[in-house]
Amino acid sequence: MVGGLVPSPCHASPDSLYHEARPAMGTTVEIYLYAPNSKRAAVLIETAFEEIERVEAALSSYRPTSEISRINATAARGLVVTDPEVFGLIEQALDYSRRTDGAFDITVGALVRAWGFFRDEGHYPSLDQLAEARANVGWQHVALDGAKRSVRFLTPGIELDLGGIGKGFALDRAARILRRHGVTAALLGAGQSSYYAIGAPPDEEGWPITIPDPDDPARALSTVPLRDRSLSTSGNDQKFFELDGKRYSHIIDPRTGEPASGMIRVTVTALTAADSDALATALFVLEPELAADLVEQGDDVAALLITGHEREDHVVAIEWTGSLAPRGR
Amino acid sequence: MKRRAFVAASAAAAAGSSLIGIDAFAETLATRRVAPSDELNVGVIGVGSRGKYMMRLFLRIPGVRVTALCDVYEPRFAEGREITGDDTPAYHDYRQMLDSASDLDAVIVASPLSFHGEHMVGSLERGMHVYGEKAMGFTVDDCNAIVRATRESGRRFQTGLQYRYAPWYREAIERIRSGEIGRVTHVYGYWHRNYNWRRPVPDPSLERLINWRLYKEYSGGLLAELGSHQIDIANWIFDEVPTSVIGTGGITFYHDGRETFDNVQAVFSYPSGGTHVFSSIIGNHNVGYQVNVYGTGGSVKLTLEDGAFYYEPARANSAVPQELIERGVHTSATLSTSGDMPYRGPGLPIEIPENEAGNPNFLAAASFVESVRNGTRPFADEQVGWQSAVAVALGNEAIRGKRYVEFADHLESKE
Repeated sequence: MVGGLVPSPCHASPDSLYHEARPAMGTTVEIYLYAPNSKRAAVLIETAFEEIERVEAALSSYRPTSEISRINATAARGLVVTDPEVFGLIEQALDYSRRTDGAFDITVGALVRAWGFFRDEGHYPSLDQLAEARANVGWQHVALDGAKRSVRFLTPGIELDLGGIGKGFALDRAARILRRHGVTAALLGAGQSSYYAIGAPPDEEGWPITIPDPDDPARALSTVPLRDRSLSTSGNDQKFFELDGKRYSHIIDPRTGEPASGMIRVTVTALTAADSDALATALFVLEPELAADLVEQGDDVAALLITGHEREDHVVAIEWTGSLAPRGR
Repeated sequence: MKRRAFVAASAAAAAGSSLIGIDAFAETLATRRVAPSDELNVGVIGVGSRGKYMMRLFLRIPGVRVTALCDVYEPRFAEGREITGDDTPAYHDYRQMLDSASDLDAVIVASPLSFHGEHMVGSLERGMHVYGEKAMGFTVDDCNAIVRATRESGRRFQTGLQYRYAPWYREAIERIRSGEIGRVTHVYGYWHRNYNWRRPVPDPSLERLINWRLYKEYSGGLLAELGSHQIDIANWIFDEVPTSVIGTGGITFYHDGRETFDNVQAVFSYPSGGTHVFSSIIGNHNVGYQVNVYGTGGSVKLTLEDGAFYYEPARANSAVPQELIERGVHTSATLSTSGDMPYRGPGLPIEIPENEAGNPNFLAAASFVESVRNGTRPFADEQVGWQSAVAVALGNEAIRGKRYVEFADHLESKE
């Protein structure tokens, strides 16, 4: 999705563009940054990846030693005190649940498992399986106490999975570290679905991010110059499964317990990648009117919703300032 | 617990005497406990990457607050406050922190190694319990002074050797000690990375402050920062302290002005005949971190996340088949490789029940707080810290001189 990143030989800044990609957070994390030399770039990139690893080690529900695994293992039995960073992120996630009436829900794991999406496959669960999974899902069953900084599950079976917000959060934290070390132009990306941009390449308005037309990925539907902002995308054009001729996305609507089906792809820009990640997940699930309300209520949020194939009126731009190319074949 | 309140109470207890003698004061301090229900106020000396990491872990323990920060580098104050989420008081001088922050109960010391002795002894002498990062001390004298200060203060000291609290290490070492792999003769440990060990420096004048690990004045290099853990594991397995070490190393990968070696190799000998071989290389990642424990009946491989047992094949030592005598043996110049190929199977993984799993660093921090509250001795106490840190200090002497060092020549009396 990143286009036009060849460094221009004639710009005034002596900095050059460096790039590294590494496996992290169950995907590939990429960092592009401008630095005066390769040694400086290597140290900065190492430091940024170290921060991503730190965040992943705390938030990953796949790691038995993570803070989230500790909370999942013990919060049904009593209060679990956690550190301000982890507490703050859970609080932020539950706030999105409240604002979206549960369209975004970090307790959705049991449903994702019932549909087989953790293994990247997908099958229709039995009614019993679905009922059991639904009983173990619900953000209202997570009680937070800000004074004690504690988390408690009000029913057993609840599990937190920060996958819908954690990747963006890790990028935000790594960006913060890079800024602290004086980096003024960098782009961090996770799995082509979450980006955070620090500043812009020399003489550019922003880091160019291309949103392809799902009907023809070679065509750019929109290009956004991203600068000191994040961009996240959710879609069923890459991850889906088909059953009896119907296409199911890998994103569950926690309100119904079924895969969401109203959207093809949503793209969101916001001030932080944690925000755009959570919003992209919620917008994919929400009905278009509610989605528009959510975007308009947000602080400096814009969205591009693709609700169907081919037709122009299937592209809904809300506060979107990026270019828009006409659709059609 | 508020220290001011405590001082007032001890003064009242000493009524009748116009002066509170230092000895009496120390005695009262020594019996002081922090009740399990009490808030525990923790200060941090050294708010660098390790200090910040440990702060987050301590903040996950009920009733623990981080109430004071100390660093010589001003930007660390804001970074520390981001973690506490509070306007935590910050100090440039640890003495100022210990004197001003009257409500402190314990201190995390995560400063550069060469300052450990001063910071840890100073904190213990002022009545603090100390969670002291590894290696415990820079020199043998530092290590001795920390042990003495711990004992004289009656405070709890826990060394930052967190693998003592890793469930898979405890399980493995218990089974090793019960004889599951026979008599342990060798521990081969590697900690290899491919990264230059540098941190970004905003201004060249801050190079030695930020990259202190690369300079001999402050740092024990790879043997201290990485080797101290594996030395402790070997000490734990053999239940002994080494008696000698032979070492070598050099700057092979990064000729960038650093003074500490980017690869070190050390061989420690134990009194009962055990050997610990440690290697750290930071220009090749291939073997990563692994501790291989070799016994006469099997082996154990321990990593940063898990471990596995391997058993030696059973020996066929029965009577020679008659057939062989009748037909004779055929000579061959070809070496049969199969017997000498490395074992490449998965071994028998160490299983840890889900409810016992956990991050070793967090388990270490939680155990320290429990020791402070209950007055119990930490598992990784000052003795454990001393045994590893002294081996690091003498190991470094061997590495730098590329020579053999006898521990007895440097330890007047074993603590």
